[in-house]
Parts: sequence; structure tokens; C-alpha cells
Amino acid sequence: MSSFGAILKNELYKTIRRPRSYIGIGVISFICVMLQSAFYQDGKEILSFVTQQFESTFQIQGEVLNGNLICFIVLQTLIVQMPLLVALVTGDLVSGEIAQGTIRFLLTRPASRTQIIIAKWIAGLFYTLILLLVLGFFALFVSKWIFGDGDLMALNSEGLTVIRADDIQWRWGLAFVIAFLSLGVVAGLANLLSAIMDNSITPIVSVMAIIIVFTIIGMFDLPSFDLVKPFLFTTHMISWKSLFEDPVPMQDILFSCGVLVVHIIVFLLASIWIFNKKDMKA
Amino acid sequence: MKFLTQKWLQRGFGLLMLFALNTAHAQQDAKVLIRQLNQRMQVIQDYTASVQMHFDIPGVKMRDMQGKVFFKQPGKFKIKAKGIFFLPKQNPMQDVNALLMDTASYTTVISGYETIDGHDCAVVNVIPLKTDNELILGKFWIDVKDPLIYKSQMTTKNNGTLETSSIFGAYKKYGLPDALLIKVEVNKIKVPKMMSVDLNKKSAPKSDKNLKEPGYIQIKFIGYKINSRFPDTVFTDDAQ
Repeated sequence: MSSFGAILKNELYKTIRRPRSYIGIGVISFICVMLQSAFYQDGKEILSFVTQQFESTFQIQGEVLNGNLICFIVLQTLIVQMPLLVALVTGDLVSGEIAQGTIRFLLTRPASRTQIIIAKWIAGLFYTLILLLVLGFFALFVSKWIFGDGDLMALNSEGLTVIRADDIQWRWGLAFVIAFLSLGVVAGLANLLSAIMDNSITPIVSVMAIIIVFTIIGMFDLPSFDLVKPFLFTTHMISWKSLFEDPVPMQDILFSCGVLVVHIIVFLLASIWIFNKKDMKA
Repeated sequence: MKFLTQKWLQRGFGLLMLFALNTAHAQQDAKVLIRQLNQRMQVIQDYTASVQMHFDIPGVKMRDMQGKVFFKQPGKFKIKAKGIFFLPKQNPMQDVNALLMDTASYTTVISGYETIDGHDCAVVNVIPLKTDNELILGKFWIDVKDPLIYKSQMTTKNNGTLETSSIFGAYKKYGLPDALLIKVEVNKIKVPKMMSVDLNKKSAPKSDKNLKEPGYIQIKFIGYKINSRFPDTVFTDDAQ
């Protein structure tokens, strides 16, 4: 096995073995099960908050409460939490080893610094992928198993969009790809900050702080914020929701994906550059 | 002077009598039209047909969908389709039939004559006698030569005004339309940005909260099957 392969295997093994890796998986599973239980019990009442605007004029026919709607609600709910869970693990990949002193031992191995940081970055992406697979399993498959399949009544700021059940699978597939890119940006940022800082807590808190600040900026319709918003990666992280519009604004989605990919590349290159320049002190 | 007053009174009475006679005639004409309409409806005990629905509702994006309609006298109606769709709360296909059949529950009067799509129609106003009725006023544009409702307008207490336009074709003799366009007044839906989690979208500009916009539902009926005697369970069965 090449030195890079060995180091990658080691990083993946460490990611799997760390107890904190399972916090994210546990939290996602818990939130999914909690929301599914709540909707199973009181779903019709909860939905009436949304549909009451129409119910004075229309009778809504068909099963609105179905697996696709629950998955949509779960994804919407976890937009804020998922990056924090990713940062919890990826923000510690380098700085944790620096704090414990094990980085010096790692650097004695034949792999170059570039290979080490890339291996850590891939391990971070692997963890992100595992989180998303868990989310996909619970949010989509378990929800469909409990609530059944059906048309999705997606809520957006312009009103409601009803997506037909036979036109939805590709949307979920692409939504999870965009979610992976979005969380890949967070993992890349956490990896970068982890390479800059020497203790394991600061990068995690910094990533959380950046995401919270960026999200708050995105929430307000202020002219000064409007200038900044297109440059914030959090603006593009929720572009998956555009897949549930009709017609799908593909140009906007592709632009957002491009912005996210550029962020991932820039964060990775910056991590490599900083890690190569870094003076590893005892 | 006394002679003049008497003359004016006579003229006034004459006009009143003319108005009363005219109204009675209009009521009579309206009743005849409704009776002819009901006779046509009574031939049909039930029907089924395939339907194609097109929705143009403010704040709702929904693709066309297909389904099957079931109707049974006097007012059982259901559209079965695979998926989510909207129908007006005051369903004209169900309520109009049931309303017009119950001739003792309303009074009618012809308020004028209009041409709808080349058909000379009498505008028949239907006023329910009971005050607790959801319907306040029903206006029906009925062809005077071949009694069919080409247009209707129903003003309700709680659900606003609902208008329908019908296009008749192959099943004209049964009074069944090939297409029905329903116009409903809709309050524009407002979803807070925080609730929709559309963080990268700008909030819609504030507008008058009570502003209503017209929404349209078009239903095309294909391949009617009349009096096929299907079971009543289709109206209670939730299967799509």
C-alpha cells in the first residue's frame, strides 16, 4: 500500500473510532425519529397551520401528510444543525493532533504533509457522507415507510409548489448531492481552521460562529446585506430547496454548486499551504 | 286638482300592476327554464368520466393531473386522482345540481338576457328561502332555446363568489359539459421567510392583506359513462 493509502486508511479508522463521530449520527437519528413521531401523532393539526390559508376557499384533496413531506421538513429543520455536527468532527482533525502532540509522530511517517492534510480532508468528507446517508435513510426511507409515498406540497416564500410523486426521486438525489457539497464546504472550512489553530475547541467554535453570523445576515432583507449575500457560502448551501420549485431554476442551482465547489477547492488549497508552512511546536 | 291626483294614482297603480305582472311572468319563465333543466338532469342517475384538471391558482404551482369523476343523484360527487389537487369548497358540480332539484327551497326571477358564447341566455337569479343557507344568491345564465347552464355565479356567505363557465359538446343532450372553468376568489398566500427557510430569497413586497385574486381550475371531462350503477362505496372509499 502506498504511503498515502496507509495514511488515508489510518485517518478513516481514527474517524470511525472516535466517540464524538457518533454524536452527529445520534443527533440526526434522534431528530428524525422525534419529528416522525410528532407528525405521526399531530401531523394533520401541524399541517393545518400551513393549509388554513387555502381551506376557506378550497378543499385540498389527496394525502398531504406523506413521506416526501416529512423528508422535506426534516431537511429544512436540519439545515442549521448539520453544519455544526460536521464541524464537531472535522474541526478537530488537525488541531486535535497538534494539541495532543501526536501530529509530530504522524509527520515522521513517509507521507508528505500535503498527503496528510488531504487524507484528513477526505476523512472529513467521508464522515460528512456517512451523516448524509444516515439522514437520507431516516428522513426519506423511514418516513416513506411510515407515512407512505405521495405528492410533495413544498412550502416556499412564494407559496406552495406541488411536486408529483413520479417527478420527485431525481430531485431528492440532486438535493442530497447539493447537501454533500454544502457540508463539504463546512468540512473544508473546519479543516482549514483546524490547520491554523493549535487547540481543538477553537476551530469548532469558529466554524459554528461563522455559520451563525452568515445565516443571520442571510435572514434579513437589508440593502447593505444584499450586497454581501451572494458571497456567503451559507446563501448557496440552501440551494437544494430550489429543486422543489416548478420550473426548477437550474442555472441558479448550477451557479450555487459552482460557488460551493470553488469554496471547497479554495479551503483545501489554503489548508495544504498553511499545513506545509506550519511550524509544529511541541 | 282632485281629478289630477286621481289620474296620477290610476297611472301609478297601472305601472305597479304592470311591474307585478312582469315579475310574475319573469318568475314563471324562470321556473319553466329550471323545470326543463331539472328534467334533463333527472335522466341521469349517475355518471363517471375521466377528467383532466388544470390549476391556475395564485400562490400555488401545481401541474395538470388526471383522475376520474363519480356523480350520483342528488348531490354525491367525487373526483379520484392519484395525488394532491384543489377543488373549490363550494363545489359547483355537486351543489348546483342539488340546489336546483330542490325547487321548494328557493325562489327564482329572470333579471335580464345576455349572449354567452353565441347562446341567448336568460340570467336567472336563484334566491334561497332559508336564511341559514350558505348560498346567498345564485345567478345562472341558461340558454332559452335549449336549457343548459352556460355560466353560473354563486355568492356565498363565507367562501366568496364562485363563477363557472361550461362548454358543451357530445353530451349536451344530458346537460353534461365537456369542459368546466371554475373561477374562485383567493386570498394571496403569505409564507413568512423564516417559516419557508428561503434565506436566499427576497421577501415578497407587502400588499393589501385582504386583496383577493382570481384563481382558475379547468376540468375537462372525457368519455362519460351514464347510468352505469356503480356502488356508493366510491364516495366513502379513500383509495385514489
